[in-house]
Amino acid sequence: MGEIILDVRNQRTAFATGRGMLQAVDGVSFTLERGKTLGVVGESGSGKSVLSRSIMRLLPGTSMTGPGSQILLNGKDLTAMTENQLRRMRGPEMAIVFQDPMTALNPTLSIGKQIMEVLMFHLKMSKRDARAKAVDLLKAVGLPQPDVRVDQYPHQLSGGMRQRVAIAIAIACEPDLLIADEPTTALDVTVQAEILDLLQRMVRERNMAMILITHDMGVVAGRCDDVAVMYAGKIVEKAPVRSLFSETRMPYTAALLSSIPRVTDPPHRKLDAIEGRPPDLINPPPGCPFAPRCRHAEDACNRAVPELTGTADHQWACIKPLNTEAAA
Amino acid sequence: MNYLIKRFQRLLIVLGVVTLITFLLVNVLPGDVAYEIAGMDSSEEEVQEIREELGLNRPVLIRYVEWVTGIFTGDWGTSYISDEDVWEAITDRFPVSFELMILAQILALLLAIPAGMISAFRPNGRGDRIIGTIAFASVSMPSFMTAILLIYFFSLHLGWLPATGYEPLSEGLWQNLRPMILPALSLALVEWTILMRTLRVEMIAVLQENYIALARAKGMSNLRILLVHALRPSSFSMITLLGLQVARLLGGTIIIEQIFGIPGVGRLLIHAVYTRDFIVIQGCVTFFALAFVTANFLVDIAYAWLDPRVRTRGAHG
Repeated sequence: MGEIILDVRNQRTAFATGRGMLQAVDGVSFTLERGKTLGVVGESGSGKSVLSRSIMRLLPGTSMTGPGSQILLNGKDLTAMTENQLRRMRGPEMAIVFQDPMTALNPTLSIGKQIMEVLMFHLKMSKRDARAKAVDLLKAVGLPQPDVRVDQYPHQLSGGMRQRVAIAIAIACEPDLLIADEPTTALDVTVQAEILDLLQRMVRERNMAMILITHDMGVVAGRCDDVAVMYAGKIVEKAPVRSLFSETRMPYTAALLSSIPRVTDPPHRKLDAIEGRPPDLINPPPGCPFAPRCRHAEDACNRAVPELTGTADHQWACIKPLNTEAAA
Repeated sequence: MNYLIKRFQRLLIVLGVVTLITFLLVNVLPGDVAYEIAGMDSSEEEVQEIREELGLNRPVLIRYVEWVTGIFTGDWGTSYISDEDVWEAITDRFPVSFELMILAQILALLLAIPAGMISAFRPNGRGDRIIGTIAFASVSMPSFMTAILLIYFFSLHLGWLPATGYEPLSEGLWQNLRPMILPALSLALVEWTILMRTLRVEMIAVLQENYIALARAKGMSNLRILLVHALRPSSFSMITLLGLQVARLLGGTIIIEQIFGIPGVGRLLIHAVYTRDFIVIQGCVTFFALAFVTANFLVDIAYAWLDPRVRTRGAHG
């Protein structure tokens, strides 16, 4: 076992809405070790982005964190911290890369300034040192002509270059935990792989831990150590990448995997999409949240929410897991 | 460059329309400068004589063209009453009015920016509601009313500031500013509310932006986020208004200069209107139009300073 960077315990995040409380993240627990990458996969609305913002403690005022929730970063409980304590954690201990690089950078500040302010605030660098370090960081993330780019504004950069800048900002203070929240969703396919490679290299070089949030199973496959599949605010299956693909237990994971089109498929084959919609998170059904859309569901599935079971490595929340004796 | 030419064309059109309208309006007014020059007890023949002498009985359009040509050659005419050169009369007094307007705008911004930021930080929060109420009360009072209240309170009651008067800058900066504070404040107390509400609305939207979330994720303080990250992208509408308000301020200074006895262009204009000294009226109005167009030209330059996207792409509009 490596050093545990992040220990999320029973994280529950809810939002007050006009119709009642919306339970966006519902009892999520996991640990993440230094140097490892956890992929978090799920449909839109499965709570994966709320989870990332819950860890960063960047939630709007209408949100509530459950009373039993704890997020330990390097052993320190983020949920018990004041805003000022959290500010000192954001940057040097945890950082985030957002989905859309076109809107994540301030259009009125030069990219150099946007990197420098992190260094000057957290590392107490002088302006001159911060600028030199900003150029170094831009070079490290593979931005061409970093000494010219440093004085440019976001609109002068392409989407891929902006995401590189966002990564440079995130890694500026050498955080222990890097959260990448769908970092390539808004980018051209050709740039996606480059950005993912860059993230992977940064994690390896700087020995960080990374949470890679995505809805793309393909992204997860080659680049994560473990994968957590989220559905309706819960982790429904969590396993090392290899086992997740070869020994899929949760029918939802199986459905996600089979909804990926394959090159070997005959042309014009209908995509194997998942029928139905995710459940209402304000008044969730009593049983397994996936049961209404599940091909294998039985009456028992609708009675109680299944707990995560399995081994320490591979866990699933299903009373009729696939590829096991019980299913056969 | 192309942009500058376009702007200049617009300036010419504005000036043409403004001068023509004022010229016609002044001519429609009953009574003319000839009565003033001739005096109370003069006969109709005497007045008619003066009219002929001044060329006032010629058709309006001819006189207009004559006068406009004069403007372009630098000859703004001479006052019928005081024989003063109109251009000199205006430029002598304009620095005073200009100082008053600038001070008013500075005070308005000093009130509007912090208040707008507090309001936008927690919309409908306690701070927002208190500021909103004060702003509503403040904008509901016309500036001459505010002026009288301010004089009562600060001059008569507390005796801190003079109620009237003007000191040139040569008397020292504080001596010069002291009598200007109340007049500037009277104007600012109306103007700040509009600036504040505009900034508030725009900033509420900006604070929802992703880059503000990123600034939070970088550990930046709320104060820094408001000042460094949100203020600039939130101030475009406010800057636009700042230019448009010059028109209101020009009108406002005329009244305020009367109340506080400040020898600015406003008083020159009022006096000219009373005496039907239309060459001065036209001069003042033309000058105001020029000032207004110039102010809005400066606003366009401010956009470029605020938004680097304008800088590289060329200004919009």
